[in-house]
Amino acid sequence: MRRGLIFDIKEFAIHDGPGIRTTVFLKGCPLACMWCHNPEGQSATPQILRNPGGERLVGEYITSDDLAGRLNRQAKIFKQNGGGVTFSGGEPLMQSAFIAEVITLLDDIHVLLDTCGYGSSDDFRHLLKKVDLVYYDLKLMDPELHQKFTGRDNSLILENLTVLSQSGVPFVIRVPLIPTITDTTENLSRIANRIQNLPGLVKVDLLPYNQSAGAKYEAAGMRWQPDYDEKKPVTANLKIFTDLGINVGVK
Amino acid sequence: MNERLKRLKVKARDLDQKSYRQSQPLNILSDINAQNLTWMRRMAHLTARQCQAEVPIIDPDEQIVFTRTLPAEIPEVYTPEQWQELTTGRTIHESGPINNLSPDWGMVLSQGLLEQKQIALDGVMNCQNDPEKLDFYESAIITIDSVIELANRYAKEARRQNRMDLVEVLQQVPARPAQTFREALQSLRLLHSVTHLIGHYQIGLGRFDQFMWPYLRSDLHEGRLDMEQAYDLLAEFFISLNKDSDLYPGVQQGDNGQTITLGGVDQNGQTAVNELTRLCLRVSRDVSMIDPKINLRITADTDLELLSLATELTRKGLGFPQYSNDDVVIPALVKHGYSLEDARDYAVAACWEFIIPGKGMEVVNIGALSFPAAVDRALRDGLLAGEEMAGILDRVRTEIEYQVNHLAQTYEKLILPPAPFFSVLMSDCLSEGKDLSKGAKYNNFGIHGAGSANAADALAAVQEFVFNQRSIKPEDLIAALDQDFQGWEDLRVTLAGKAPKVGNDDDRADTFLVTLFNMFADACEAYGTTTLGGIIRPGSATAMYYIWLTQGFEDMREPIVGATAEGRQSGKPFGANLAPTQGVQIRGPFSVLLSFAKIDYQRIYNGGPITIEISDSVFRDRDSIQKVAMLVRTFAQQGCQQLQLNSMNLETMLDARAHPENHKNLIVRVWGWSGYFCELTPEYQDQIIARHIYAFD
Repeated sequence: MRRGLIFDIKEFAIHDGPGIRTTVFLKGCPLACMWCHNPEGQSATPQILRNPGGERLVGEYITSDDLAGRLNRQAKIFKQNGGGVTFSGGEPLMQSAFIAEVITLLDDIHVLLDTCGYGSSDDFRHLLKKVDLVYYDLKLMDPELHQKFTGRDNSLILENLTVLSQSGVPFVIRVPLIPTITDTTENLSRIANRIQNLPGLVKVDLLPYNQSAGAKYEAAGMRWQPDYDEKKPVTANLKIFTDLGINVGVK
Repeated sequence: MNERLKRLKVKARDLDQKSYRQSQPLNILSDINAQNLTWMRRMAHLTARQCQAEVPIIDPDEQIVFTRTLPAEIPEVYTPEQWQELTTGRTIHESGPINNLSPDWGMVLSQGLLEQKQIALDGVMNCQNDPEKLDFYESAIITIDSVIELANRYAKEARRQNRMDLVEVLQQVPARPAQTFREALQSLRLLHSVTHLIGHYQIGLGRFDQFMWPYLRSDLHEGRLDMEQAYDLLAEFFISLNKDSDLYPGVQQGDNGQTITLGGVDQNGQTAVNELTRLCLRVSRDVSMIDPKINLRITADTDLELLSLATELTRKGLGFPQYSNDDVVIPALVKHGYSLEDARDYAVAACWEFIIPGKGMEVVNIGALSFPAAVDRALRDGLLAGEEMAGILDRVRTEIEYQVNHLAQTYEKLILPPAPFFSVLMSDCLSEGKDLSKGAKYNNFGIHGAGSANAADALAAVQEFVFNQRSIKPEDLIAALDQDFQGWEDLRVTLAGKAPKVGNDDDRADTFLVTLFNMFADACEAYGTTTLGGIIRPGSATAMYYIWLTQGFEDMREPIVGATAEGRQSGKPFGANLAPTQGVQIRGPFSVLLSFAKIDYQRIYNGGPITIEISDSVFRDRDSIQKVAMLVRTFAQQGCQQLQLNSMNLETMLDARAHPENHKNLIVRVWGWSGYFCELTPEYQDQIIARHIYAFD
């Protein structure tokens, strides 16, 4: 039996997919996005969060059996309300074998994978056979900018986008709107062009910048240093997508 | 809301009506003592005098009138010495008068007071040899005449102001059957106000959308009203309930029992949701005041559209609707002696208790069982005696039985003042010639079951650390409790933070929760029938006892408990109603519902809601309303009984604490009712803030 490292299980997650859901946050991420609002999800080991009010250990190892057992207790709630389980993070693909094992143990529950797409294509392919819906992040189309703002270039992510669109699993493209960085006409146009006509694409969700993104950095012992103007309003140019016939919304 | 309604709301919130208030209560005592009247006649006399002393007030903006001018204090009908003599050895419920019931409004509005008077006149004719009945009937007639006379004086004032629309309404009601929605609202406003004027309190408005709908339906059908006009009238009626309520007694300001119960099923078991159900929700959402407090009856099959509309009220932070699950409540009432027809007609009393409008002389809150006190004594005695958990649980059972029996026996001696006017408003008092204080079709008592999660957590902690891990010695635990954990902080943190807890769907704790409630039900069932012919209904609420049972309150009949084994220090409150112990790390609302779904609500049926706080940040997009509605539906699907769902912003409350002047209209849910945050005493404000620190987002 495998065990995984999680940093939260959130019940009644209402922004993480259809119906009412429980989201499992897996700890560890290959990217380090400058705007990441869950910095405690980045490190792949348990860590101490230090707040003025006290300390808290973040990161818990849990076996697939225990996790599936906990989720199965809520299976009826999910079924009756068009909901299910969402695996998010951090980056779930970093623990894909663990997640695959958990899903196998689930009692007929709708599963959503919320991924940045940066991971082994074989693992991804394998996991796609077990999930019902994918939330797939696309941040920056320019490889250099992607490298600069996330710490990695985007070639693997774009390859895996092809893997996804060939899998037959429906997916939603999610674009975080970071003022002047991702929220530019050029970037959004390149994203729109890349995903236009991809089989399986349900819609695009634009996610406006979360101004409290930096809230947890100090507690996590990290430095918050955004290289952009946080206060600048996002433009969220929907027309770029609608002109190409892509279903788009702002969350 | 239009300008007229906005003005009316501002006037009510600013208590403009205070300027009309008479400074002194009446003194009627010497008068009635000189006449040497029976208690019944004294109450009739009180009604007559209070009605006569009311000065008609008609605001030009009002279409539905009545503003109370008499002060809060109700005139005494006996001297203290006489009262002492009358009540020695007897039990007085709260402040005395019949309260926390809902009349048969449907009957009174549709028949009118004159019809009731005719029944009483016939009664007088037929009971010349029965002085007690005669006393009752004649007293009832006095009260009816005095209320009609009050309406006539209002009509006269309306004529003086050339308000012929009002004259027409007041010539019809409350004497004669209401013919229109407006007349029905006017009749209800006046009759409901009179119940408070003569000392009754926490008087509910029952199944408002059921008894009011026929009037609105026929107005709409006949073209007398359109929906917009109906909205206007209803909004005015709702606002009017906020005018005099500062005069009504309650533990805290706002605790006034002006509830309405919406939805549910009709007497054939078919859905009773109608256009007025939805209109009430929309109007309440827009008016955004603490009264009336809304209860919505639902089932696992209630449509999401209605639940979403109801959720819009939650989103506004009103603290209602409170939901009751018909799938669970109705069969439980039937199992305990209510007819199916009556059970289907239940309404929610002032807070959460299930009552049958017009049909019961039920005292649904004779007190609270303190689960933590029972568990505390059992733990101390059991551990000292070297017992294992089974022995301790035997002791818990004994303690619970003792507390239940003590309360029930105290109320065997209950004495209720005669209530001739309230009897007129009930279904069968006049036809049977029996004053309500002598009993009605249902005469049950209810006991709250307070601190259940704390008590279960205490048992779970002992099971875990004293018996399973053997890491805490019994004598250390008792010493720590005796010393209120001073010098035992590590032990306290272990008990509070590392033991299994109710609210996490963890059977290691929930099994004790279930056991405690089963013992409570056993004790009530074993008590059997009271001398008043009723039974004892066990419930799951706390009311204000989540504070009283830890801090004490004057003349309280319940035991106080100090520090407890779930790691709670002395004086700190229990969780309100069915909620996890304060400060416990909880997995989320699904787990809370799954934990409390394990209680056997067919045996625990006096009411008492699962209380869940959600952060207002949940409502950040359109989908969120529907998803919160799904959470409400989940509550019903899981077979839970009652739910109170509150949305609140922590920063707003903290700011209101610091700057009350900026937050006059901030509404919060307190225990079974909503009030204005700034009108609560600090201890209740603190408890609400503490609750919301753990709100789910």
